[in-house]
Amino acid sequence: MAGISIVGSGNVGASTAFFVAETSAVDVTLCDIREGISTGKTLDMMEAAPLRKYRSKLRGADSIDAIKDSEVVIVAVGEVRKPGNDRQSLFAENSKIVSQIARDVARLAPKSVVIMATEPVDATTALFVRESKFERNRVLGIGGALDSARLRYVISRELSLSAENISAMVIGTHTHEMIGLPEYSRVSGVPLTQLMSSDETQRLIDEVRSSGDEIVRLAGRTSSYYAPGAVIAEVVDAIVGDLKRIFSLSVVLDGEYGVKDGAASLPMIVGRGGAVKVLEPKLGAEDKKRFVSSAQAVKASVAAGGSK
Amino acid sequence: MKKVSVIGAGNVGATAVYHIARLNLAEVVVVDVVEGLPQAKAMDFAHTAPGRGFGVSVKGTNDYADIEASDVVVMTAGIARKPGMDRMDLLKTNVNIAKSAAQAIAKYAPDSIVIAVTNPLDVIAMVMLRETKFPWQRVVGMAGVLDSTRFRYFIAEQLDVWPGDVEAMVLGGHGDSMVPLTSFASVGGFPIQELMDAETIERLVERTRKGGGEIVNYLKSGSAYYAPGASAARMVEAVLRGESALIPASAHLDGQYGYKNIFLGVPVRLGSGGIEEVLDLELSSEEKAALDKSAAAVEEGVKTLESIYTPG
Repeated sequence: MAGISIVGSGNVGASTAFFVAETSAVDVTLCDIREGISTGKTLDMMEAAPLRKYRSKLRGADSIDAIKDSEVVIVAVGEVRKPGNDRQSLFAENSKIVSQIARDVARLAPKSVVIMATEPVDATTALFVRESKFERNRVLGIGGALDSARLRYVISRELSLSAENISAMVIGTHTHEMIGLPEYSRVSGVPLTQLMSSDETQRLIDEVRSSGDEIVRLAGRTSSYYAPGAVIAEVVDAIVGDLKRIFSLSVVLDGEYGVKDGAASLPMIVGRGGAVKVLEPKLGAEDKKRFVSSAQAVKASVAAGGSK
Repeated sequence: MKKVSVIGAGNVGATAVYHIARLNLAEVVVVDVVEGLPQAKAMDFAHTAPGRGFGVSVKGTNDYADIEASDVVVMTAGIARKPGMDRMDLLKTNVNIAKSAAQAIAKYAPDSIVIAVTNPLDVIAMVMLRETKFPWQRVVGMAGVLDSTRFRYFIAEQLDVWPGDVEAMVLGGHGDSMVPLTSFASVGGFPIQELMDAETIERLVERTRKGGGEIVNYLKSGSAYYAPGASAARMVEAVLRGESALIPASAHLDGQYGYKNIFLGVPVRLGSGGIEEVLDLELSSEEKAALDKSAAAVEEGVKTLESIYTPG
C-alpha cells in the first residue's frame, strides 16, 4: 500500500505528519485544498530529515486525489474550537465537509483505516461510517486516547514519576461526559487505587475533563495539537506495524453496554486493519449510565445534523 | 558528563554497555580482569556509534582505577550458570569476585550507586553492601526488572498484544521461588484476570519462575544476556535521569514487609540517590505467603554465605 495520508494541513494535520515521521518508517502525504500549504509544511519537515534521521518521505498535495490507495487516512479538517464554544456546536460547521471526505475516501482509498480527528470526534466518527459505508472497526476517532494521555501526564506529575510506565483509561465521549476509570489505571502494574486517594484521582480526572478547554482558553485562537498529533502517530504506528496495541478510541457501538450506533471511546486492540477487538471494561452503575446517555446523545446529533 | 562503569565484559556486561551508551547520558567504562577483552568489546561498540547514534565514549580497561568517580557501577562479573547448575552453585566463585570488585568500588568510586547483577543475585548484593560499607540505599540488586520483563513478555505473547502495553511486577528472590504478582499484572490497564483464565495465568507464572533456566537449556552453554543487559541498563537509566521510577528491585530490608537483613525483590522508587523509598503495597494473603517462602530461600542462601564468608 502507498503509505498513509492526512487530510487537512492545519495544526493537527501538520503536527501528526511530524510525529509520524518521528515515530514510524512510513511515507506520509499531507493534503489540503489550500494551495501550497501542504507542500510548504512537508518540505520544511523533510529539510530536518538529515538531522532527525527520518526513514519516511513526506510530501504535500493540493487535492484529495493524492490519498489514493493509502493504508491509513487521517481526517483532520474543519473548524476547531474557539474560546467559549464547545465541541458539539462544531458539528453543524464540520458535518458537511466530513461527509464529503467520507465519500472521497470510500472512492479513493476503499481499503484504508480511517483515524478521525475532526471535532466533535464521536459524531464525526459515526457520520463517517454512515457516509463511507466502512465497517466500524476501520473508522476510529481520537477521543479517549488523548484524554488517557492527558490523565497519564497529570498522574505522573502528581506522583513525581515518569509517565512511561503509567497506563490510564478514559472512555466515553470526548466531551465533559468523558469517564475516567481509576480501576483500570496503573503504575508499573500497581493499581492507582494503592497510590492515591479516590478524591485525588477524581480531582485529576476533572482536570483532564477541562484540559482541552484550558488549552483553547490559554492559546486564544487555536485548540491543542501537539498531544493530538502525538497520539495519532502512536495509533498509526500500531496499525502499520500490526502492533496490537491497546488504545481507547471512538468507535460506532455495536451492542456494547446495550448501545447500538452512536459512538464513544472504548479500549480496543489496534493492529493492521484497525480495531482487532473492542474491549468492555467493567463499569459501575453511574459510569454505565453516563456512557449510555452520552453515546445516545451522539447518535441523536448525527441523526439530526448529519444529513445536510 | 556523568560516568557509568560496568564491571565484567562478559555477555551481560557488554550488552548493558551497549544499552547504556545509547542513552547518551554518561561516558561508559567497562572493566574486566581478562586482558584485551574489555578493550576489544569497547572498541567494537564504539565502531557502531555512527549508525546507532551515540556520542559518549566507551572505554575498556583491566584497571579498576579507571572506574574513578563513577556515578553508577554495574556489577556483572562472575561465572555464568551452566545447564543443571543451580544459582547457589555459583556462590563460592562469585562471592570472591564480588569482594574484590566491591573493595575497588569503595576505593575509587565511593559516592557511586551500585547495581548488582551477578548471581546468585540476592546474596552477591549482600556481599557488595558489606564490602563497600555504603548506605543501603546505594546498593541495589537487578532481578525484579528482568523477571518482570519476562513475565510481561509471556503475557503479551499469550494475548497477542504489544509487550509495551503489559505491566507486571515480580517480587521476592531471584530464584525459583520468585513471586510474580498476578494482581499487579495488567494489559492496557485491564487486570489479566479479565483476559485469561486462571490455568493460563498459572502456566505463565511458572514459565516466568523458570525463565532463566529455559534460556540456559536452549543455549546448552551460557545463560541469558539480552534481557538481563537491557534490564540492568533500565535501572541505570532510572538513576541517571533521576526518574524515581516505580520498579521492583532487590533491596536490603530492615523490617519492610516483615523481613530483616536480607536482600529481597520489593517495589521501590529508584532515582538519582539510588533507592528513594521501599513502597509498602498491599499484597494478597497468597502473595504474602509466597513472598515469605521466597524470603526463606534467600535466608538459606545468606546462611550458606556466612559459612564461607570472611570479611575482606
